[in-house]
Amino acid sequence: MTPARDDSPLAAEYVMGLLDAEARAEAERRIASDADFARQVETWRARFSPLDDTAEEIVPAHDLWQRIEGSLSKEAPVAQVPAVGMIGRFWRSVAALRIATLGSTLVAALLAVVAVVTLQHAQQVAARKPIYVAILIDDATRQAGAVVNAFADGRVEMIPLVDMNVPQGRALQVWTLWNREIGPRSVGLLSRARATQLDLEKLPGTTADQLFEITLEPAGGSPTGRPTGPILYKGTTTRAL
Amino acid sequence: MTVAPASSGDSDHSLTAEAEISAAVVRCASGDRLALRIIYDREAARMIGVAMRILRRKDLAEEATHEAFLRIWRSAQSFDPARGTARAWLFAIVRNQALTSLRNEQRFDAETLDESHEPDLTAAVSRLPESSALRRCLQQLDTGRRSAIVLAYVHGFSHGELAGRLGVPLGTVKSWVRRGLRSLQECMG
Repeated sequence: MTPARDDSPLAAEYVMGLLDAEARAEAERRIASDADFARQVETWRARFSPLDDTAEEIVPAHDLWQRIEGSLSKEAPVAQVPAVGMIGRFWRSVAALRIATLGSTLVAALLAVVAVVTLQHAQQVAARKPIYVAILIDDATRQAGAVVNAFADGRVEMIPLVDMNVPQGRALQVWTLWNREIGPRSVGLLSRARATQLDLEKLPGTTADQLFEITLEPAGGSPTGRPTGPILYKGTTTRAL
Repeated sequence: MTVAPASSGDSDHSLTAEAEISAAVVRCASGDRLALRIIYDREAARMIGVAMRILRRKDLAEEATHEAFLRIWRSAQSFDPARGTARAWLFAIVRNQALTSLRNEQRFDAETLDESHEPDLTAAVSRLPESSALRRCLQQLDTGRRSAIVLAYVHGFSHGELAGRLGVPLGTVKSWVRRGLRSLQECMG
């Protein structure tokens, strides 16, 4: 005889985030298939949710919404429920009108031309403008020390904004961190602050919130392949406007 | 970067907020980008705050919130108002995102952690409204059980981290959590 299983603590531990990866995946499968378990999860969420409102409100970076919108635009359109309401009806009636007036073949041809022109324009702009920018800042003084620009074609440049003091026998080393499991990778070594192309060719494409930092290392670079000296400036990439 | 402390529950206000957020999530499901912006304007600051307690770095907390908004947009159709409140759904998404980021994170360097967000054993409970059943029930628990549950939910501590922080063996911490949850369940009905 099997005793009745009491899943309530399991549901609570799922909500709290205490389950290991395997148990978590199993709990997620059960939420999808077991209405009773799903209800227990919802009950615990409701019980704990007052704790969410005890968090302080932290003002988002001024461009966070733009970054979110940027990501949404990059995604393929989600399979949406057809738009209902005024706007949906409006667009459907406009489309019907267009098709009736011009004939669908002509509309399709025009749309194709617009798409090609838009794409070409976007590519031209992308070649001139960085897609990601990181401002590297001195944590102690909050002073900006350098800018990193990443371009659509994979080029990444670092432009110093200040003259960095490099003692004899030392060098500036530039690092990036795009994957926390792999850790920081060296992308440039300089004897003094100057504008330079960073070597990211062997790394995956630069993304948002990728960390760049400049540390002071022995001339010839860090002996360990990891940053060893003090961090002079650091910052993360944000999507350029 | 910190604004007002948590306001406690004026229930009329929170009912209105819930109705607005719920309506906005439903509008997101029909592809209305403005509705997502409404959710952002109302809740993003709190969502970053929730993620910040887990990740203790503002950049990571914003990243988790960023990802959470993409998920809200993509899965708005799966939100079922009959099953739970829209705000609980939103905050479950941002907590999950923050916990995922925490698990993937091998902290790049400890100095980037914001010391002012050092996990505090009592702050969250003392900020719960006096009238809150959760507050009353948490206060009835032994200190160890209460701390374990609050640190896990609010700061994303694992069993191992709880054992380290509370200075007890792993088995003890697991049983504190289980027994604490059992008591909470009885107390909250």
